[in-house]
Amino acid sequence: MSAEAAKSLPFPIAQSARSGGPSSLEEQVISLFDQFRTPLLRYLCGFQIPVDDAEEILQEVFLSLFQHLRQKRSEANLQGWIFRVAHNLALKSRLRGKRHAERFSYAPGVTAVAADQSPGPEEAASARQRQERLLAVVRALPEQDQFCLSLRAEGLRYREIAEVLGMSLGAVANSIEKSMVRLMRSEGNSNV
Amino acid sequence: MSEYHLSEQELILAADGELPARRKAEVAAHLEACWSCRERMQSLEGTITEFVRARNRELGSQQPSADGPRALLRARLAQTAAEPVRGRWLMLPIASWGRMGIAAGAFVAVFVGIVITFAARVNAEAKPRPMTTGETRPITLREVCEYERAEVISRDIPEDKKRAVFAMYGIKSPKPGEFEVDYLITPDLGGAETVRNLWPEPYSARWNAHVKDQLEEKLHQLVCSGKLDLTTAQHDIAVDWIAAYKKYVSNAR
Repeated sequence: MSAEAAKSLPFPIAQSARSGGPSSLEEQVISLFDQFRTPLLRYLCGFQIPVDDAEEILQEVFLSLFQHLRQKRSEANLQGWIFRVAHNLALKSRLRGKRHAERFSYAPGVTAVAADQSPGPEEAASARQRQERLLAVVRALPEQDQFCLSLRAEGLRYREIAEVLGMSLGAVANSIEKSMVRLMRSEGNSNV
Repeated sequence: MSEYHLSEQELILAADGELPARRKAEVAAHLEACWSCRERMQSLEGTITEFVRARNRELGSQQPSADGPRALLRARLAQTAAEPVRGRWLMLPIASWGRMGIAAGAFVAVFVGIVITFAARVNAEAKPRPMTTGETRPITLREVCEYERAEVISRDIPEDKKRAVFAMYGIKSPKPGEFEVDYLITPDLGGAETVRNLWPEPYSARWNAHVKDQLEEKLHQLVCSGKLDLTTAQHDIAVDWIAAYKKYVSNAR
């Protein structure tokens, strides 16, 4: 979850929304969709699934969330719940083996990194190279490490990542440490 | 300056705010004193910042507009909201019993006769007919237990399948709220979305869809806690779910 999303989470879901009050549960879920769509799409990048599938996964996530809340199930750590459901659906989607031409992923060679906003072209090129190098390091990580790092980048705490991925807290800490050390070393910082 | 330096792990945990409270103050104090560790921390933060920018920009250039997906979700939510809430088994029966009690008081003997006749009919459907044998899909125990119940597997059954099931049971025009086309073996236990694993389960019967929900939840708990074999759970719920309820939920009715 991005920091901006975390700040404005409308949790707990208002009782009036549950009972179809002025701020209906449907609107609350739409609001959550707006806040989490980009973080979730970024996370789903790591699964290398087609854009259409990722969008459909988001639909299923928020329909499930609606049912979850309507049935008065736990609202504890809903952001973790949302990422967990998205993760599980993405695994299922990938298992189904759907493949389309249009993808968005950490695909090597894709110059998807937008033009940098640094003042000069040299700085922009340098920043772009640095970012592409970092993304290349991430692509080379074991998949579970990529998931850990991606969830951390979206603002989830280690405990929440452990819940999403079904790992122990220690395994999450080790994974992130390993990934960060590789990223740092790719930048020439061998002391970290 | 001290020769002691923070480990990689401590730096990363400190950057992520994941250090134990006691150690947190010690690490903060060390970073104040040690320029070397502070420089390492700043490098780490710089890498994190750059990585986050790279991720954001990578998606930013490819992300489709949210307008279409939002409109689609809004429509689907409206459709879902119009359907009865599942899983709150206490809600509907209490309301139903209340209504039934008032009506029974008003219409006495004649109504009771109708109720008895009606109950006999729907109770007969509390168990599926022989053609509903129950079918499973390939699934591992890990998959069954990894996902929170009902989170992943959509329980929404397509309308054409519902119509096929009603037709199979000879129900021509089911009233809203009278039946739930339900899985015999729940998807949470590996049940398949096939006509042979679906049947029109009455809400108003003594052994109704809400009661079966309790059994499904109990079986899932037993399977995932290692107290019951998945195959046995699938078998027992398929062969006679009411007997399975009496066996596993224990407070048999």
